[in-house]
Amino acid sequence: MIDINSPEFEYFLNLSVVLTGFSRFHLQGTGVAHLYFETIRDILGEELFGELLNIFHGLELEKTEQSIFSDRLRSEILASEKFGPITRNIIKVWYMATWYALPLSWRDVFGTKEKDRTFIISPQAYPEGLLWTAIGVNPPGAKGPGYGTWSEPPLVSLNQG
Amino acid sequence: MTTIANDLRLIKTVDNLKNYLIAAMKIEHATIPPYMTALYSIKPGTNLEAFHIIRGVAVEEMLHLTLVANVYNAVGGTFEPNTALLAPDFIPKYPSYLPTGSTDFQVGLGKFSQETVETFRKIERSQHVKEDEPLVASRALEEYLFDIIGYQPNRSFYTIGLFYTEIIRGLFALDKEYQQKGENLFCGDPKRQITPEYYYNGGGDIIPVTDIDSAIRALTVIQEQGEGSTNDRIFDAERELAHDYRFQQILLGQYYVIDKDDPTTKSDQPNQPTGKHFTVDWDSVYPIKENAALSDYPDGSEVRQAALDFQSAYSEFLTKIQYSFDGHPEHLIPAVGGMFRLKEQANTLMRNPIPGTPGVNAAPIFRIDQPSLS
Repeated sequence: MIDINSPEFEYFLNLSVVLTGFSRFHLQGTGVAHLYFETIRDILGEELFGELLNIFHGLELEKTEQSIFSDRLRSEILASEKFGPITRNIIKVWYMATWYALPLSWRDVFGTKEKDRTFIISPQAYPEGLLWTAIGVNPPGAKGPGYGTWSEPPLVSLNQG
Repeated sequence: MTTIANDLRLIKTVDNLKNYLIAAMKIEHATIPPYMTALYSIKPGTNLEAFHIIRGVAVEEMLHLTLVANVYNAVGGTFEPNTALLAPDFIPKYPSYLPTGSTDFQVGLGKFSQETVETFRKIERSQHVKEDEPLVASRALEEYLFDIIGYQPNRSFYTIGLFYTEIIRGLFALDKEYQQKGENLFCGDPKRQITPEYYYNGGGDIIPVTDIDSAIRALTVIQEQGEGSTNDRIFDAERELAHDYRFQQILLGQYYVIDKDDPTTKSDQPNQPTGKHFTVDWDSVYPIKENAALSDYPDGSEVRQAALDFQSAYSEFLTKIQYSFDGHPEHLIPAVGGMFRLKEQANTLMRNPIPGTPGVNAAPIFRIDQPSLS
């Protein structure tokens, strides 16, 4: 059983840091890291999700130089037929709080997962999307900056990552 | 009210009065960090009823702070650098006694819990004293955190409301004295008042203060929002539930009902709410460090940096509020906007474990940034 108390959760956070470019502090600060971990696990199944996280963890353990680590991440995960679409989905989850159904080409080879459909992960996750921080705006319709502040310069700073 | 014996009155000069009003701002503000900390420790999407109850009270404390500033400006108060909201001791060092001088309980910065809400009820507790009795109880001089009763260091007010009653007594008496001398106690520039156009929907109506009537109205709003109008009623003059009872709803998991048309006979009695029940999930809360200090965060950690960033943002927030009180009312709305950003920063901290302390999350630090020596 992999859950938020197993080492795989740590691997997930570390992988997310590499994939999103945001710090661990920022990612945990969204308050939805547990939710994302559990949601993705439930869609992919423990076996597939665990396999991805352990491959990543293996790369971390063998990491000597950053450039080699990055190359291996690209070739062994991002370019992988099996894990590439999943990791790209994880990026989208963090940035848009949305899980996108895996591409047809992936499903043809690896099978269709029952819960694999496009959906917003939760109402609380939407305003926490990294997209809004990355482009320096408030999430539309959420995190209201207060009455009258629309006439003031934006308050979201660009360097929170 | 004006007939009370002069020796019961603590406020005898306009300087006394100004000191009391600065202390009042300190008291109003002192409740905000505890309310904010408990509020933001609630996990998003859970405990919605409790969240809105605490938030509603916190917003009213901001209104109270602003109302006091209006009274202070009306009697000619000024905001010198590093005084009032920016004085080094303006923010209490939590856990702390309330600046009323009461020492039977302390207020701290803790997560949303039954214990925390009990303390909030104590903050908002009420006690009504007859007009011809003193409002402070004598007590032994002990460890003293606040100098507001500086003139009467061996006395304390049992409640915040009694502290305001003292101010109201003082105002009446001083106003009368000034009138007899042919002078005006309310000599402040009306342009320094925060008027409704500069204050939006934050917990009630803002009252510009220009004379004794408006001053009393402003202070009465503060008293009644906190405590209700009399001991045996749950509501205030606006027919809104008093703070103490609002917090009690969280502990009981049930709303009070106030009949707005016939509040006196048809509303719920104290301690006997009859409204809708709601669920309180005391576990759906981030396990934050109580009364966090910078020293709780390891050197070089992101948590420490974020705590410092919050502290600076909070200092800046108070700086802007003071600036708006100091003759720039048009700056208040953008300053309050800054509070929304503080919320995001506080949330980020509370969702992160303190490195090396598993199971204990970080929490914001409320201090005034010390001017750098460089």
